[in-house]
Formats: sequence, structure tokens, C-alpha cells
Amino acid sequence: MPRIPTSLLLKAYRENSLLPILLKECRSLDSARNELRWLRERAVRDVQEHSRQATRTRQGWRTRLRAMCHKRSRGVPLQYILGDQPFGDLEILCRRGVLIPRSDTESYTYEAARLVRQMAVETCKDSPSPSGSKRPLRILDLCTGTGCIALLLHALLAPQFERIQIMGVDLSPIALNLAQRNLEHNIGLDVLDRRAREEIQFHRGDVLRRNGIANPSTGTSAGGDAIPTVEELLSQHTTQSERDSKSSDGSPLPKIDLLISNPPYISHSDFHNGTTSRSVRLFEPRLALVPRTDTNIDSNAISQEGDKPEDIFYRRILELSQDVQASLTILECGDKMQAERVVEMFRGNSPALGDGGETDGVFTAEVWPATEEDCLANGFHVRDGSRCVIIRKGGC
Amino acid sequence: MLRPHLWPRIHRGFSSPHTSYAPSTSLLSRRSFTKSPILLSKPLPARLKLNDADLTISYLKGTGPGGQKIVRSQRNLIYALQNTPKVTPLTNFQNKTNSAVQIIHGPSGIVVKCQATRSRSQNEKIARSLLADKVEAQEKGDQSRVALKAEAARKKKASKVKKARRKYRDLEKGAEEGEVVDGDGDGDFDANANVDARTTETGTSEKSPST
Repeated sequence: MPRIPTSLLLKAYRENSLLPILLKECRSLDSARNELRWLRERAVRDVQEHSRQATRTRQGWRTRLRAMCHKRSRGVPLQYILGDQPFGDLEILCRRGVLIPRSDTESYTYEAARLVRQMAVETCKDSPSPSGSKRPLRILDLCTGTGCIALLLHALLAPQFERIQIMGVDLSPIALNLAQRNLEHNIGLDVLDRRAREEIQFHRGDVLRRNGIANPSTGTSAGGDAIPTVEELLSQHTTQSERDSKSSDGSPLPKIDLLISNPPYISHSDFHNGTTSRSVRLFEPRLALVPRTDTNIDSNAISQEGDKPEDIFYRRILELSQDVQASLTILECGDKMQAERVVEMFRGNSPALGDGGETDGVFTAEVWPATEEDCLANGFHVRDGSRCVIIRKGGC
Repeated sequence: MLRPHLWPRIHRGFSSPHTSYAPSTSLLSRRSFTKSPILLSKPLPARLKLNDADLTISYLKGTGPGGQKIVRSQRNLIYALQNTPKVTPLTNFQNKTNSAVQIIHGPSGIVVKCQATRSRSQNEKIARSLLADKVEAQEKGDQSRVALKAEAARKKKASKVKKARRKYRDLEKGAEEGEVVDGDGDGDFDANANVDARTTETGTSEKSPST
């Protein structure tokens, strides 16, 4: 990390004595100024609320702000200090132990909503039968974390779709707890429709674990006190309402319209060699960043030869996406190289899909955003930064 | 306690046999001097609607590259650019807090950037309204919304200043009663005030097209 020049520190100090403290983490005056502004707004607001409730802590906002700045200089993410992060029009609560939603994720959630709408228009054109509108739009969000993707998708799609079913799956109970709180919080803020309470469900599940035969009866019996697999969750929670469509499909799993995921994708070496920034490494949960390959016995069964250990989730999710016949699959990847690896992985799998599945169209996989303009327009870095892989029927 | 000058009004309101209104409503209508709504003399023109096709919206991450994975330093970036096919640059998983929005208006070439809030969608809304105001100011000049608002504010301030001066002048006059002739002082002061108003006017009119 390059040293901050003394001249910059002095300049910052002259402006505000708290700015040099923030510079330690922010590294640039511009972002330090912004963060100081946001922290001050929050400190003042908190103190006002405290004084209104007449609670015992009667410290002034200045003291509070100073404490916040020192916390920030130690590398604690701003979102953990403030306790929330805007995500689209939503306000997502954040706490230690759950990954903070990134703006890249926000971008591709918008893109996902756009593609779903486009898809719905196309299917309406193809078959204007009322059966399409009767079935709810089904979305599966794996590794949901704060639940940000699930909640934003509901907020974006609720005006167009009468019925939506969103299932968020995560391994961490802390994350699930927070996701549920986020659901209530955003309904309270009136940015999320009231019906989201019934339409969004968060369940604890292990994405990597799989049961050999995707059969609900054996799945539940084998489950015991183990964390259920995604297949088990799907068959448990959709059978009651959607048995009719399930039987017509003939497959044991319900059909999913959109499978979206932001799985852990940082490699073990990238986590430790300084590539991952200190703040992320020290304060955000490792579970959400690095796929746990060492402890998991199943991982050997999932990954194939030549797979990198950090790509293990993609292999498993691509497999799942075939099983649930997802019309649209969107996966966030760490960088362009990883995204291309995932596309390759999909192409390796796809012949099997063409033979086995009764899908009429051909699936195509693409990296998004592909062009420089797309990157700039959506806030992605041109050369680096995350990308996502979009797999859909037909393609463009 | 009611002030004496209110008495005749209220009395009339209650006693008049010709009014068909209930006494309370007539009272309210007569008391309009206390709750007259503050109306602008002329309503402002509607805010300009920009065509979405003309706008180029881009999301910036404040300074430098952003996202979860970013290039670590300028030196690495240059190195990486020089050796693009061979070398993979050192990248960084980060948590950028900034979400600035920049909008370019194609036809006029005006660029607006906003990083007021942490929310990207909120920043976009703010940037849009700022841009609409700027484009309108460029198109209509003095007749634009911003210019009219500035004009109204200027007038208000000028009259406030004038009133304050009058007040202190009257106080002064009260202190040394009889020394100053009424007409003389008045004329003198008004001339002063006018000069003042004119200077402020030129000041704002110089400023308003640039903002």
C-alpha cells in the first residue's frame, strides 16, 4: 500500500481534524470527505434519537463521530459502522458475519430484472394462454447473505408480476436471520410490497451438498439433523402449492424461472496474498468469500478434473440449474477470467442438457458486461472487477 | 383576550340575519387575514423533462477503479496495460463505499456528477434534476426555472433589506425627534436602497447563467 504523502495529510488536517484518521482506510481525500459526511450525518441523527428517547448514553455527536472515525481507520467497513447499505431503492441492514452488498451486485440484479421482464414478454407472445400467468414467477437465490438480491428483485418485479415466489438459500444462520430482518425492515420503510412477506422465503441450506438421487422421500429421511440440500428445500417448499405443475413436468423438482447467485469465489491464495483488501479480509466473513474446499468431502465429487478450487460453487450451481430447468441463470464471478472459465464449464455440460432435458431452445452463455461501454454504464471496471455470467434460452 | 378592533367583525358575523352561512364559517372567512396562503405571484414553469435517449448515465466509483476486484496501484495498471496478454494484473477484492453517478446530456454536452448519498439510485435522481435545471437554464436563459427562482429570492432579499433599513431609520428618527425633515430623509434613503438593489441584481444576473 503506497504511503500517504505528508502534504496530503496536512491538507486534510487543515480541512478537518478527523480527515487524516479516515485517510488511513480511504486512501484518497475525496472518499474520506464523503465518508466523514456520511458518518457525521449518522452521528448527529443517532444522538438526536437518543436524546428523544432519553436513554442513558448522553454523549455528544462529536464524541460519537470521533469514535466512529477511529473504528473506520482500523478498517471496519463503513457499512458495519453505519449498520446499513443502500441497494437500489432498498436499505439493506448489515452486520458482522454477513457479506456487505456491493454495487456490482446491484447492477446485475437490475439486469436480471430486465431480462426476466423481457423473457415474460417473449413467452406471452409465443403462447398467449392464461396458464403462463397463472403460474407464479419462481426465483431461486443461492448464497443469499443479506437477502439483498431476493429483496431487490421482488421490489423491481412486483409491479409486473401478480405472483412471485422467491427462495433465498444460505448456509449461515446469522445471514438468514439478517435477511429476514431486512425483509421486515424494507416492508416497514414501504419500499417493498407487503406481499413480499409471503412471497419471499429464506431457508437454511447447503448449496454444495447434494443427495445422490433427487428424490424428496429419500432426501428427507437421509437428512436427519443435517443441513438440507437445495433439492430437498425445493421439493419441501414448493410441493404444497405447485404439485400440479410439478407432475405435468414429470421431473421431481419444480421449474425455476431465474436462478441467481453470488457465491463465494475468491481463491485461497488470493485471500492471503494481499489481493483481498485488509478491510474485507479482516471484517467480512470468510465463509462468504472463499469456497470451503478443505473441509468438505463432497467437493471432490462435485469438481471435475481441471476445475480450480475457487470455481467449485459454479460447477454445483450449473448442475442445479439443469435440474430445475432454469430459463435464466445469472452468476457473479470475481473477474473476466473466472467468468470465462464458468462459460467453458457450461459448454462442457451443455451436450448432456440437450440430450436429457426436454428443453426446446438452445441455451447460450455470455459474460456480462462484455463491452467497454456496458462496463462504464453499469459501474464495472473496464479491465478488472467482477463480471457475471448469464445463461439463457435462445440468447440474442 | 380579544383585541378591540376584532370586536365589530365578530359581532357582525354572529348577528347578521341575512347571511345564510353558519356563523362559524362566516367567522373563518372573515378571519382570512390571519391564514392567507402564501402564493407565488406566478407559478414556476414545470421542470424540464429530459429525453432518456439523450442521456448517457454512468456509475463511477469515486476516485480510481472500484468494485470487489480492482487494480491495486497505478504502477501495476500501467505495467499490466503494457503486457496485457502475458501478465495478469494484481487485483483486489474491495468494498468501495462510493457510488457517484455521472450523467452526460448528449445534445448540449452538459455533464453532471453527483455523489451526495451512498445510494446510487438516489444519486441518479439528484443528478437528473440538476441536469434538467442546467439544460433548461441554457435553453431559456432568464425565463428558466432556476433563473426565476433566483430572481424571486433576490427580490425577497432586497425588500427585506429595505424594510430593515427603514426600521432603523425610523428608530434613529425617534431618538432625535424633530431634527430631520421627513421628506428629505425619505428621498435620500430610497435612492440608496435602489442603488443597492441594482447592484445585487447585476451580481445575480451575472451569476445565474453560469450556474
